[in-house]
Amino acid sequence: MGGFLLRKAGAALVVVFLSSVVVFIGVRALPGDPALALGAENRDPAVLAAVRHAYGLDQPLPVQYVKWASRALRGDLGLDARQLPVGHTIVTRIPITLELALLAVLIGVAIGILAGVVAAVRRGRLSDHTATTSSLVGLSVPHFWLGLMMIIVFAVDLHWLPASGYVSFRQHPLSNLEHLLMPALVLGTGLSAVLMRQTRSAMLNSLTADYVRTARAKGLSERSVIAKHALRNSLITVTTVVGLQLGALISGAVITEQIFVIPGFGRLTLEAVNERDYTLLQGVVLVAATGYVVVNLLVDVVYSLLNPRIRVSGATNQ
Amino acid sequence: MSFVDTSVATISPRARRRRILRRRFLRRPLAVVGFIVALAFVLAAILAPVIAPYSAGATDFNALLAHSSRHHLLGTDELGRDVFSRILWGARASIEAGVLATLLAMAVAVPIGIVAGYYRGWVDAVIARVTDVLLAFPFLIVAVGLAAILGPSLTNATIALGIGAAPALIRIARGEALALREEDYVRAAVANGASDLRILARHVLPNMLSTLIVQATVAIPTAIIGEAVLSFLGLGVQPPTPSWGVMLSDAQSYLSQAPRLAVYPGIAIFLCSLSFNLLGDGLRDVLDPRTTR
Repeated sequence: MGGFLLRKAGAALVVVFLSSVVVFIGVRALPGDPALALGAENRDPAVLAAVRHAYGLDQPLPVQYVKWASRALRGDLGLDARQLPVGHTIVTRIPITLELALLAVLIGVAIGILAGVVAAVRRGRLSDHTATTSSLVGLSVPHFWLGLMMIIVFAVDLHWLPASGYVSFRQHPLSNLEHLLMPALVLGTGLSAVLMRQTRSAMLNSLTADYVRTARAKGLSERSVIAKHALRNSLITVTTVVGLQLGALISGAVITEQIFVIPGFGRLTLEAVNERDYTLLQGVVLVAATGYVVVNLLVDVVYSLLNPRIRVSGATNQ
Repeated sequence: MSFVDTSVATISPRARRRRILRRRFLRRPLAVVGFIVALAFVLAAILAPVIAPYSAGATDFNALLAHSSRHHLLGTDELGRDVFSRILWGARASIEAGVLATLLAMAVAVPIGIVAGYYRGWVDAVIARVTDVLLAFPFLIVAVGLAAILGPSLTNATIALGIGAAPALIRIARGEALALREEDYVRAAVANGASDLRILARHVLPNMLSTLIVQATVAIPTAIIGEAVLSFLGLGVQPPTPSWGVMLSDAQSYLSQAPRLAVYPGIAIFLCSLSFNLLGDGLRDVLDPRTTR
């Protein structure tokens, strides 16, 4: 297993490095001369040269990259347009999005896996058709629109839940959940549609596998066959899908936070674009890409724990 | 080659296969419905100038936020613009983004995926890392970056959606090429001394075509929803040009006054992407029996 994880970690490092290069070049490709902005729009060539020198903009790009990357590694992502440290801003926004994402994943996994298992076990029957159709609807419906509809029904008409805003858990736990319930449902149902499909097809595969036949043959109860043998093996596929869905989850968080006015990481991304704050944007994109890679590395760890075949083959490879 | 009288009942194997596929497709009512509705949306997009009762920007200040009536089938918005007409006009942005983003993704992903799967080795390893890097940037983040660099527009949104769809397609094309290179007919072509380009173009690509068609049909609804999201956030189609995302964004200010303004464009997005998804599922069952559920 060590070999497998080491290889994965190596690949992840390469991806983080390449992503940081993409972000670095992307920001340099932005229109406008940064020296002009930093020097308060003073067009005197002498002043521009001094500004360039002061901020290291006169150095070759690779040198600039190394300086920027080594600062970023130490958590220093520079100052945004309001002269606030970007790293600090991001760190204060991330927990909000993490809480939202965690709730959404819980909802998505609970609905998706349960519906997928039921659909596979009762293949071809009414509950299968219902689950399959709902997942197709779930894949086709724009979830941000679902958010708007929920606001109309539960906030505007029924006054059950607040339409927007955020209260931290420490401030008021119940109010915190009330504010996050609709956003988490919007984000979670999107995930559940994908998960349901994957769980169903993975379960259908493992239900016809030899080890399931063996388990049945040795007289295990159907319940234990499904839960301990078929589902456990299907979870291997499902874990990978959850990891790959993280990108969709980040994209989903951006729009969900926008609709429900939640001051998280997603909304910060849009603020950076709308205010043309490039240092902030650079930091946000870098953190999003790194986060994606790290979570997928964690998924690989879980994957190898769930799948003994990988543990063994990884060990023999070493 | 002998001359064959085509009026006789002898039909080529290809035509026979096509006929079998058509029959199999017609036996799936949901797929047929999906095809018809998707076609209707495409036609609505093309024919919007002819069939829309009003132009997209025509305002009627005597009927602001009006309910549906004989004059305005789905009512009007806050500027007295006909909602039904704007939904028809808005289909243009959605279909354009959906189809072009998918074509762009295909044009980028298929050659890369084929090369990775067919040659394997270091080329494959390099392409795998590049795909990982692409995957590390969620499509909305790419779109946000592109909007910052190039400015928000439908074209830039389409490019972002295409880039976002590419990694998954690269993996699929790679997997197909990996399987196809072991086929006997490819080995036979190699033994005959066919060039790599010829093998890839004549044997590998045509044999993965049905998989690619299915993937394209499933990628279109994702791009359609993506366009709506980007336009909603102000990163895609710019008002006053109508788009379903822009209409939803405008409707946000009138959720309590006129919730219907937020309902109709959403239903349009839903039906449009559902129809392509149904069509894609049907095509998958017909063309790709291996993955039949």
